[in-house]
Amino acid sequence: MRRSRKVCPVTEAGIRFIDYKDERFLSRFITDTGKVLPSRLSGVDARHQRQLAKAIKKARYLALLPYTRSQSAQ
Amino acid sequence: MGCSHPGPAPTSVGRPAPLSSRVGNPRGAITTKGRIATLSREYEAVYIFDAGLEDTAIAEKLEKHHALLGTTAPITLDHWGRRQLAYKIGSKETGYYVVARFHAEAGVLPEFERALKLDDGVIRYLVSVHEHELGAPPMTEEQLAARRARDADDDEDEE
Repeated sequence: MRRSRKVCPVTEAGIRFIDYKDERFLSRFITDTGKVLPSRLSGVDARHQRQLAKAIKKARYLALLPYTRSQSAQ
Repeated sequence: MGCSHPGPAPTSVGRPAPLSSRVGNPRGAITTKGRIATLSREYEAVYIFDAGLEDTAIAEKLEKHHALLGTTAPITLDHWGRRQLAYKIGSKETGYYVVARFHAEAGVLPEFERALKLDDGVIRYLVSVHEHELGAPPMTEEQLAARRARDADDDEDEE
């Protein structure tokens, strides 16, 4: 059976602009180790995935998000 | 800033204008006598100050740096206060975050950023063009419901 198509969570949330300062929102799209979550897992469409990746990288530079997090620290 | 900009008519030589005369010019128009047209944009700066600094010292530093921008328009400041950093920067584990939004001309930014870089009280800073409301307008509830219904129909057809 074919899985149902995912709706982009960014579109669904009605977000017009992905803000790099909103680390609580961005943290939904990174893994436990701090990597950017692939869109095939998160269901984010390509345009928003590009915006998310840029925002996450800016947030990392500003120490709002970690570049990496060791599993033992969890 | 590409070749697709509607620049001036090509000269008899057919050579495009030097890049230096087009820098900072959104329409790619060439300015006379080698001068670059002034361009004011809205920027957003995030500063991380040393959390050990007094609030008054931080306010003084902000005032000193913002004076370099030479803007008369009011600068919007948003003090986030002291926060835990997501990772250690040097030996610092906390920082005092301030977000500033201002209009400035592109030409004053290098000197402004140089002053920030030399300031020991600033752990880190990021100056970027204030981008907001990019992309398509959000979908309304009806549009979302219609899309879900359409997707569900598609899935039923394929099964």
